[in-house]
Amino acid sequence: MKKYLTVALVGLMLLAMSSVGMAVTLEFQQWWEVELPAGVLRGIADEFTAQTGIEIQLLSNPYADTNTQIAAGAATGTMADVVGLDGAWVYDYAKQEAISNLSALMEKRGYNDAQLSDQIKVDGATYMIPVVNFAYPMLVNVDLLKEAGVTEMPKTWSEFKAAAQAVVNNTNAYGWVIPLSTSSPSGIQNQFMSWLWASGGFMLRDGRPDLVDNEKLTKTVEFVKSLFDENLIAPGAYSMTEATMVEEFVNGRVAFMTTSLAHINLIRQGAPNLNFQAIPLPVMDGYEGQSGVVVANWGIGIAANSKYQDEAMQFIEYMMSPEVNARLAEAANAFPGNIYAEPDYSAADPVFVDSYEIFKDSYAINEFTGLPTSEHLMRIFNDHLQLYIEGDIKSVDSMLDMIQEEWVRAF
Amino acid sequence: MKNVTAQSERGKNPRLRAIFKHSTPYLYLAPTLILMIVLLAVPIFMVIKYSFYDNVIINKNPVLVGLENYKTILSDVRFHKAVKNTLYFVGVSVVGHLIIGMSFSLLLNNRVFGPKTKGIFRVIYALPWMFTGAVIAILWQMMLNPNGVINYLLSVTGISSTKIAWLSDRSYALGAVTFMNIWAGYPFFMVSILAGLQGISEDLYEAASIDGANVFQQFFHVTIPQLKPILISLLTLDFVWTIFQFDLIWITTGGGPVYATETLSTYIYKQGFSRFQYSLASATAGLVLLACTIIAIFYARQQKEGV
Amino acid sequence: MNRRVKWYTKPLLFIALVLGALFSGFPILWMFLNSFKPNSEIFAWPPTWISANASWAPYQSVFQDPEKVRFFLNSYLVSTIVVVVTLVISILAAYAFSRFNFRGKTFINTLIIAIQAVPPITLLIPYMALVVAMKMYNTYAALVLTYLLFTLPYAILMMTGYMNTLPRDLDEAVMIDGGSRFRALWGVLVPTAIPGIVAVGMFTFMRAWNEYLFALTLTRTNDMRTVPVGISLLMGQHAYQWNQMLAMSVIGSLPVLLLFLFFQKYFIAGMTAGSVKA
Repeated sequence: MKKYLTVALVGLMLLAMSSVGMAVTLEFQQWWEVELPAGVLRGIADEFTAQTGIEIQLLSNPYADTNTQIAAGAATGTMADVVGLDGAWVYDYAKQEAISNLSALMEKRGYNDAQLSDQIKVDGATYMIPVVNFAYPMLVNVDLLKEAGVTEMPKTWSEFKAAAQAVVNNTNAYGWVIPLSTSSPSGIQNQFMSWLWASGGFMLRDGRPDLVDNEKLTKTVEFVKSLFDENLIAPGAYSMTEATMVEEFVNGRVAFMTTSLAHINLIRQGAPNLNFQAIPLPVMDGYEGQSGVVVANWGIGIAANSKYQDEAMQFIEYMMSPEVNARLAEAANAFPGNIYAEPDYSAADPVFVDSYEIFKDSYAINEFTGLPTSEHLMRIFNDHLQLYIEGDIKSVDSMLDMIQEEWVRAF
Repeated sequence: MKNVTAQSERGKNPRLRAIFKHSTPYLYLAPTLILMIVLLAVPIFMVIKYSFYDNVIINKNPVLVGLENYKTILSDVRFHKAVKNTLYFVGVSVVGHLIIGMSFSLLLNNRVFGPKTKGIFRVIYALPWMFTGAVIAILWQMMLNPNGVINYLLSVTGISSTKIAWLSDRSYALGAVTFMNIWAGYPFFMVSILAGLQGISEDLYEAASIDGANVFQQFFHVTIPQLKPILISLLTLDFVWTIFQFDLIWITTGGGPVYATETLSTYIYKQGFSRFQYSLASATAGLVLLACTIIAIFYARQQKEGV
Repeated sequence: MNRRVKWYTKPLLFIALVLGALFSGFPILWMFLNSFKPNSEIFAWPPTWISANASWAPYQSVFQDPEKVRFFLNSYLVSTIVVVVTLVISILAAYAFSRFNFRGKTFINTLIIAIQAVPPITLLIPYMALVVAMKMYNTYAALVLTYLLFTLPYAILMMTGYMNTLPRDLDEAVMIDGGSRFRALWGVLVPTAIPGIVAVGMFTFMRAWNEYLFALTLTRTNDMRTVPVGISLLMGQHAYQWNQMLAMSVIGSLPVLLLFLFFQKYFIAGMTAGSVKA
């Protein structure tokens, strides 16, 4: 018996050694290559190959279908070795055992994870590492505000509403815009909950839904409803996506927009003469504490079916190393995921630099990251919010009750 | 049939000949059947099987739960809403396709204009055919935007000056989505009917006009009966396809606002890929399959009578 | 023809034709105009008809990208193979359905429709597992076979419909004269059914050309992917390349348009009437 074991072990070792000799090719499935300036990701991958001999094959996918792709890949064992992830999906893929436990891999490789700005955990173990983060401050069309006679940037909700009202009264534009399309319900996270989080509120307590009798959340819902009721919001919200929302801003039809910094370049291209700046999200009247800023991230994980777990982790470490991570952040108009990365934003847009300052004064938050069926939770919230705004649901309390009931079922 | 006892069919042994004769239709069908069985039998079986288990795919060891998933689906108010919307969407789309497809093909089949003129219009009418679903969805999303060209045309012509949010208003959304689908799908009917019209013998019309039938009578007594086999095929296919029209609805409204445009296809997608409840998605699919099988039987009966 | 045409028929008919053309053609015209605009102008109010900043840039960016050109080549290759195979197989099957009565006919017919009633999205995962098991993942063969499953049921149904409109005397005459079944089908029925075959062929082409879900999931590398996937790659996380998407679909539709123009002659009224009279 022992003999066989030894033979088997030696065999395994030989196999392992032979695979070291052979060139390993890692597949890296992501939607980033098309988002980044041409050649950036390829360049980083090639440098990695030059250093380690491990080849990287980039597989690009349309962002909207990444989820479908990963789900199908996970079920059929064809997932790429390294996958780009959104925090909204991590929980489900971890539970399906489609993605690997990175804590274990990091420990095995002796990686110091203290340098990571964040790790997305499920049941205490890391499954996704945010590579770069996209903050969502508020962008303001300065000329529209001038035209409306607003001289000071709003800091509180009531000031914001007054400014929005002035814009609607004195210009052809609307105050604010929110994309609530059911097909991509991320507007709930990025444009709705951002109000709550900026005012120090939370939608979870101890990782569980805490929507009922949540005073700040109740006020947030009422605030957003009042913006709708008073016609301060650009029409078409219920079928709007982030991609169409930004076109409203580019065309000067809204004064304020809560949006990802990734949009800055696009706005510059589309409207070179648009005079806009970034401000912190206005907070609930009377709130004095620190603000939470929504971050969405490009996360990275390893497929459970990958034969090259170790090499895959090596590649992630490379992407997360301060210098590479900084370069990636610069190229993506994002903030780095490594705390020691020092991106050089001197060439960056002034609006971006301002936002970085705002970001440094706040804390990053996104309570939807790592929740079970996150997207589904947002969708439920979205549907009920619309029903309340439209008057089908009579009170905030019953709206939040109904959402809570459905959310709890998903947990 | 009796005349056809083929001199051509080889084999002197009468028994062999009989076998050969009986197997002829199956030989013609063989490539189709082999392909379908090899590629579809297993996946369809899997889908039906999933529908009787709890949480498949996610769960490595799913448990047999019998009809539990079907009960869940049938008692879900959103499913009821999806069925209602789907019936509207499919019903109006199919009728719209038929009416527009038929009208356009008759217009194009006229004898008043020369082949050049008709050729130009034929190409224009077939245009919506040439674009993929995602692009059609994007295009209409642009046009139906509150600041889109449709509202612009309405305001310029003085029909309506308010900027209607076609896809965001619960009272318009389903209608708007259905309209898009009619626009995108009628060329299939038009071209198929146009091809069918070529096969109708001119004698039939002449005989009818000698009998004093006017244009409408000719249409109902000659054209429609002659096209019947094609029309039945078209309607059946369109019905089945429209149920699963996905891209168009998903990209423009995602089933919203609230559930205004939620159809079976968006409902199934959300179950499967947003909630990861493949079992529920499969059970919904099972119900649709059942409903469509009944329609298929009806179709097959019709075809049988036709022979 | 000896039917008299009243004086008002022509103008009325022309008005109807133009109205119909507006309905079908206007959205396409709008797509065409927008494909030359800079992205920001696509959502401008009031809308611009012909942009002052119109440029070929969206088209250039498609043609200059070898990856995008490859999408087109893949689409043509896959769609063409699918059309040829679909036509051959469906003509055979339709002949069986149209000219024979046999045991199981109703059942097979029912089956062919019913299998289409399984929503593709639910089939996705088990079907993909099968393709992976057959070692066809990320190949043209996988796409071709998959599209055959989409196109065959339709093609068979429509071909059966067309063949049923053709009188039986037509092919029976051949066999009475001593011709074989093969000759009756390919020598007489098929040539007579050309308008139907062209219609089926064109539609098959469009279905294969426009399919997205399986084109995306059954392939993994961009060198195997088709135009609809390429278009979707322009729908980014934060922003869409509206003009490039439109330019890509305009380019994609051109060859189909040419094909349609070429096959026009098969739709000319009465072309087959002579042979059908029998």
